[in-house]
Amino acid sequence: MFDHIDPRSPTPLYAQIAERLKVAVAAGELRPGESLPSVRQLAARLRLNPATIAQAYRELESEGFVEMRQGSGTFIKDVATERRASERSDQAVRLVRAMLAEAAKLGIQKDDLLRAMDRELGAKVS
Amino acid sequence: MSNAVEIRDLHYRAGKSFEIRELALNVPTGSMYGFLGPNGSGKTTTIRLILGLLRAQRGTITVLGGRVPEETPRILARTGYVPESPHLYPSLTVAEAMRFHAAFYPTWDPRWAADLQETFGLESQSLVGRLSKGERGKLEMLLALAQRPELLVLDEPTDGLDPVVRRDLLTALLDHVSQHNATVFISSHLVHELERICDWVGVMDRGRLVAELPMHSFKSGIKRLRVANAPALLGDTPFVVLSREPGEGAAEMWTVRGWQAPMSQWISGVGATLRDVIDLDLEEGFVELLRTFRGPRA
Repeated sequence: MFDHIDPRSPTPLYAQIAERLKVAVAAGELRPGESLPSVRQLAARLRLNPATIAQAYRELESEGFVEMRQGSGTFIKDVATERRASERSDQAVRLVRAMLAEAAKLGIQKDDLLRAMDRELGAKVS
Repeated sequence: MSNAVEIRDLHYRAGKSFEIRELALNVPTGSMYGFLGPNGSGKTTTIRLILGLLRAQRGTITVLGGRVPEETPRILARTGYVPESPHLYPSLTVAEAMRFHAAFYPTWDPRWAADLQETFGLESQSLVGRLSKGERGKLEMLLALAQRPELLVLDEPTDGLDPVVRRDLLTALLDHVSQHNATVFISSHLVHELERICDWVGVMDRGRLVAELPMHSFKSGIKRLRVANAPALLGDTPFVVLSREPGEGAAEMWTVRGWQAPMSQWISGVGATLRDVIDLDLEEGFVELLRTFRGPRA
């Protein structure tokens, strides 16, 4: 799940982890009541500072995605269907923004992008 | 926030060629502090001063609330140290080296020591002098971790070790930190490793601390800009221009510090066009910082 965590990115690591978990919740990959790995386990697995993991979990808690229960761990909350849908559309906007920024750097025009988009989407469907 | 290590106005001189001047340094309690710097910049000397192995000519050093050198024994009992070059007796076996070390530390955790010995694959009866470089590195780390220290001082702990060993050592270190909230002061020139785990960075160069800040500020503040049609004289910039180099066509590459997105308005204000803002990672930021700190001489 955390294959795309990039320590060299300017996006802070805790934000990358929180983001990834939100996507998993939005996509239904993580179900309500499921528990997240402990801070210690995840820090060891990703070889990251435990403080970074703890910060990511705190952020998710303050946004209502998880619940931290003293002594027993961190659990996915039952996030409303509308909330999951709105998180998905936020993610879509982020993806498009990143793509547009990259395209601008390479001087790719709108028409080229739209054509490529149609082609790729078509290929996925068929 | 309290500091696990605090240095003020420190002066140390060894011979004519090397000195540490006016050193001030803070390692926040519970942080993982990456201590960067080129070879010969004074990292190891600073570490030896912190541990009371060298005496400063002037200044104060406070470690875990105690003064160095007056309270060094009390401090060292709570501090784990992995030196740059191993300091173990070659004629002892692994088991003897562990027993010898344990005798000095009341907080020694025999169960964890045994766990680590198994994880690291160290045979009890092997002679320390016959261990491979990787095995010696593991034994050093085992000894420092099993004493369950509040502060860990690691001087190039993974230098020259293969990636598999480095990974094992790092995992054990992170395990200790998550269980005991320990402070870690780690010097390394393996910058990418520090980028993953450290939340503070200090950069030494030629006996001086040239930067000390949270990792995220270090990484987010330094950018490379691609700017077209820039005027020759910039006047007062809202950011610090570390360097300017010609790029392709009418574009120039600027390396800047203290960059924030709204500052692009300033660039259009002087008639130039901002083509691109490029992020620098820790290693590039570190190289740029040293280059500009050293000025045109380097």
